[in-house]
Amino acid sequence: MTDTGFAALRGQLTEAAAAFTDSHEVLSEILTGLVDDVERAIAEPLEIFPVCHHSPASSVAMIRRLREKAPKVIYLEMCDDMRDLVPELRNCTLPVAFQAFASSASSRSGPLSTVAPLSEASAEYQAMAYAMANDDVELVFVDRSTDHVFAWATPEKEKEGTQPPEESTVHGDSVGIDIGDLRPRMQDLERHLLHHGKVRHWSEWWDQYVERSLVGADYNTYRQVMTLIGSLFRRLTPPDSPHLVADENRERYMWTRMREHLAATGTDPADCLYVCGAAHAVSRVEEFGLNAPPTDFVIPPGQGVTWKYGIIPSSYTAIEAQFNLAPGSVSMAAATWKKALKRHRLQPFQLQKRKTKGGKTSAPRSSVAPVGAPLGGFLTEPAGAGELDEAELRSWCVDIVRLARKNGYLASTADAIAIFETSVLLAGMRSRAHPTPYDFADAAVTCIEKDTVPGRRDVRRLCEILLGGERLGQVGYESLPPLARDALDRLATLGVDGTKRSVQRVLIDLKTQPEHEEASRLLWRLRYLLPSDVVRNIMGACTLDERSIQESWDVAIGRNMRPLIELGYVGVTVEQVLEQRLRHVAWNEKATAATVLASVEDAIVYLDNPRLVDDLGARAVELLAAERTVDDAPEVLRLIRRLLAHYRLRHDRLPAWSESFVTTGYAHYCTLLPIAFSDDDTGIRQVGAMVGFLVTLEGLALSLGCDRSQLEIAVKQSRPQLPAKIALQWATRFQLGSLTLEELRDNCDSLLDSPLSIAVFPDYLSGFVQALESIPRLTSFTVELLSSAFARLPDHVLLPWLPKLIARLKEQAGDLVPILVREAGRTFPGSLPAIDGWTPPWSQAPAAMEPTVEVGELGLLLDEYRAPTDAFARLLDVEGRWLAPRADRPDRIPGLVGDHPGSATALANLIG
Amino acid sequence: MTDLLRAPAEVKYADELDWLESIDDSPKPFSWRLSPRMVLRFITGSDPSDGLDRQIDQKWFGDRSFVERAIVTLASDRGLLLIGDPGTGKSWLAELLSAAISRNSTLVVQGTAGTTEDHIKYSWNVSMVIAKGQSRESMIPSPIMTAMETGMIGRFEELTRSTSDVQDALISILSEKYVSIPELDDDNTVFAKPGFSIIATANSRDKGVNDLSSALKRRFNFVRIPVVTNKRSETEIVRFRTTELLRRHSIDLDVPPSLLDILLQSFADLRDAAASAAGEDDKLESALSTAEQIGVLEDAILHSHFFGDRVLKASTLAGSLVGSLARRTPEDLAILNKYWHGVVEPRSNENGGEWTGFMDGGRQAIATLS
Repeated sequence: MTDTGFAALRGQLTEAAAAFTDSHEVLSEILTGLVDDVERAIAEPLEIFPVCHHSPASSVAMIRRLREKAPKVIYLEMCDDMRDLVPELRNCTLPVAFQAFASSASSRSGPLSTVAPLSEASAEYQAMAYAMANDDVELVFVDRSTDHVFAWATPEKEKEGTQPPEESTVHGDSVGIDIGDLRPRMQDLERHLLHHGKVRHWSEWWDQYVERSLVGADYNTYRQVMTLIGSLFRRLTPPDSPHLVADENRERYMWTRMREHLAATGTDPADCLYVCGAAHAVSRVEEFGLNAPPTDFVIPPGQGVTWKYGIIPSSYTAIEAQFNLAPGSVSMAAATWKKALKRHRLQPFQLQKRKTKGGKTSAPRSSVAPVGAPLGGFLTEPAGAGELDEAELRSWCVDIVRLARKNGYLASTADAIAIFETSVLLAGMRSRAHPTPYDFADAAVTCIEKDTVPGRRDVRRLCEILLGGERLGQVGYESLPPLARDALDRLATLGVDGTKRSVQRVLIDLKTQPEHEEASRLLWRLRYLLPSDVVRNIMGACTLDERSIQESWDVAIGRNMRPLIELGYVGVTVEQVLEQRLRHVAWNEKATAATVLASVEDAIVYLDNPRLVDDLGARAVELLAAERTVDDAPEVLRLIRRLLAHYRLRHDRLPAWSESFVTTGYAHYCTLLPIAFSDDDTGIRQVGAMVGFLVTLEGLALSLGCDRSQLEIAVKQSRPQLPAKIALQWATRFQLGSLTLEELRDNCDSLLDSPLSIAVFPDYLSGFVQALESIPRLTSFTVELLSSAFARLPDHVLLPWLPKLIARLKEQAGDLVPILVREAGRTFPGSLPAIDGWTPPWSQAPAAMEPTVEVGELGLLLDEYRAPTDAFARLLDVEGRWLAPRADRPDRIPGLVGDHPGSATALANLIG
Repeated sequence: MTDLLRAPAEVKYADELDWLESIDDSPKPFSWRLSPRMVLRFITGSDPSDGLDRQIDQKWFGDRSFVERAIVTLASDRGLLLIGDPGTGKSWLAELLSAAISRNSTLVVQGTAGTTEDHIKYSWNVSMVIAKGQSRESMIPSPIMTAMETGMIGRFEELTRSTSDVQDALISILSEKYVSIPELDDDNTVFAKPGFSIIATANSRDKGVNDLSSALKRRFNFVRIPVVTNKRSETEIVRFRTTELLRRHSIDLDVPPSLLDILLQSFADLRDAAASAAGEDDKLESALSTAEQIGVLEDAILHSHFFGDRVLKASTLAGSLVGSLARRTPEDLAILNKYWHGVVEPRSNENGGEWTGFMDGGRQAIATLS
């Protein structure tokens, strides 16, 4: 330990504190405290490797240190439950993200998702790659589990800003966790650093003042500087910051885990490396250090959420958006990393698809990191040692002009010169010896950007592309969950390549290629389950009534792998997930009969699973019987009609659940009908739909054992007050036969005669229109009614009345008006001259004639032997009369019975 | 304090500029009076941690990088074009830049439909030409030519309002940096001295009136000034300008913070409504800029001072807001009426306080104008 080196620095800092402030004790304490922290971290027997996320300096130092020390155990600040994902990285192209996912079914508060993105230029990836390349190296994730991430969550700052670019949404709404989050927790400090650093964003400050100076620095300098910065931010964090509490919990957790591991395996701490964020390297918790006395800290239990794990593709833009980094900063870091590798001739660790034999480093091991005192040297050097050189800046100026021209800008060589000049001037103004990439980007925007952006990308975005470029990661086939692999295999038969990022057009002709039927159905299922831009149907339909022979699809699975992978956490096949989803909808506490019927329809359309359909149908019956409102009645009627029509068309018989639904619905709506008629809050559409259900499905319901008297009683009990409902009740009574057409006509005439009721006549009409679909007989009467009103009413009544009528019909019966219009078209003459001689059908005198009834031979039989029929009539209390027999009637059957009375007599004897 | 109604920035801040010049030891480009860093400090203000003996107030509110880019443009070979919505502070920034760099912000050409090439180059004193013939003495140089001769910053306001031929006259000035006077036999070229540049402003709402040619665009660096939507910055701007106004009129009147909040909130609401409007008829004609907020407040203050009881009331503010923003009848009035009924009224019922007075005042004003 070279205390003397730090002692000199400590003295220098104390002097500085005295020179800058009158009461220098506090400042002196902070400044010397920083050095104490560095000293303490360096002296720790377990070597601490402080990192900052996505820092090329960190990863360069990591490569060097791993090659030099070749540790046996690496402790990494990463959720311990994600460790099993590391081998899967072999099949991936970075950047990708580890994901822990809890679906809504297994968690308490909806789907939870956590992502930990990894880029090639990150120190943690280098550590993982090293560990995987060496059999004898153990990689231990020591940070709290994903479950604890949510248990210890700190409130997130609300993000401001405009619509994020498409690439930044590849993580969805996951919670991001990152190793080495190094940022001032005190807002004033950050503001101060940005102001004096003459930069706009924290990433820019870090790049300018730390990153560029530290890339390629020797290990001691790197370690001490990072620890020093971690200490500075740590010491200036407000004591009541929620971040501090969470950080300390994590540190206790990590040190406890490491001590447990060391005790369990008996590993020599000298062979270990602890990789953590720089702020954790100077932790003040009691558990810090291997020599710390035992505490009563016990790792707390999690929330008990069941997590599924996987790897999803990531992108630089997504990482920047997730962690609030400056746009382009990660891509710039990647570019810096590549340059640093080249400059320092370093070979990074990379995960190979096939495991390399004997890939273990042969570098000599030194268990103790050499400790020097170069920290002072770093602190006294000017910032930005790694700034742009002139040639590089010049090449950028030329390249951005070229790129701008490609994107529609009228940029020329003169602009390249102007950008160069402006970059230098801006750097001078910002007290920099040489321009930084951020200065260059500002200069390019100043010189090239005019009043409009000619193409899709503006100059700032072009600069980001030039300085680093966006990169999208890819998860290899072998690392995908079974569901995703299965889906890709099945889609491969259509020629869909899951590795392509482009949108792939798929054309299916089921007539010539019936073998594609299954793949086509899979596309429909994916369309149902995934966001709309992943699998988009261009042409074709798959509904209850329609199945196209030819289909056209746009498939963008390669660029939207995350949603498919997330489906893989829920089930093993797409069909299973779909079934789960439909069941979830049905057994959700907000489920209604209408939503479940919609699920039944989806189940029939997308899945070939009668058992599921039966289960869902039974659930719909259960929900319908329990419903106390009729708000969904129109939807229920629409859906059940469609489903019944489907079964009648495609199947021999109706399923049991549908029969049960009809009988339950009949009884249910009969019960609720009087309330719905009298309740002012129940809309006319709802009551209309109830009547529609009862009337149109009556035949089926009665055949299944329902009693018509229930409906008749319900209608009799109804006491509607609102005009529309009164009209609807009349219509129902008309259908049931308790109101004749003449009575209905009289009722309406009296309405038109009364000046008091004329104003609300449109409401009555609206009530009739509601019944048109279910009582088609009423259509011609409604046309008659409307025509009579128009004929009778004077203009001064009619004109204020018309807007009300139109508004009512539009509001309450928009979809039923066409029925009325068609009937009117049939009733009225088609040409103007024809109107003169036209008499409305309702004005024509009914022809006086004896009603003729076409009777078959059975009727003749009944006529011949009237006694049983008369007995039935008496029993039913019906009065009737027999028509006069026709002279030309054939009498084969009566003759047959008369000629051979034996069988009739035998039957009579049997009945008794 | 001067006895001018509105003193130019170099007069108003003469002390500050003198002081900054006296301590400025950084390199200065051309004939600049201040170094770029000092110009930046003069405009964006100083921080106590900058270590200056004197506090420099912030005069223009917005992203500092805009000012940096504007300053380096003026130090380069190109002209500066500040573009943005009306009331975003383009002209004020141009004035501050000219005052800081050249100590003269009055070399201004106002672009209008009637601006001619003479206004940009030179014209003649006809009497003197008749008496003595054409000579440099009888020539009247334009502000731009004066800026060229003296190595100062010339300003061109509302560049896109002037016609294309006038705009084209600037191309040669910005490229060759001289103006020829063919009427004279000798001494017939005015060369620009180092330090000369042009700051033009253009209103983005005038786009399409007289579009700039590609050649002229190439000679300008564009700096787009956005509308301030950050509430904190906007409060600062309104307070800064209102204080100045009160001082100018020697008015002793307080602007209660709650009223300032109401003003800012109303503008924010109306901006949101304008952003989501389907067509031009559904949004106010006004750009709802910060300058208009200041105008509304100024109007209310003056009204309260001269016609009221010298206390700024919410109802007066509401009347002033309606009066300023209702430009088209009935479209603007309908939008304001909808806003008052849909937003102000519920807010008044919910929060009470000044909102109630604001609601009443606004309704009355709308009723009067309807």
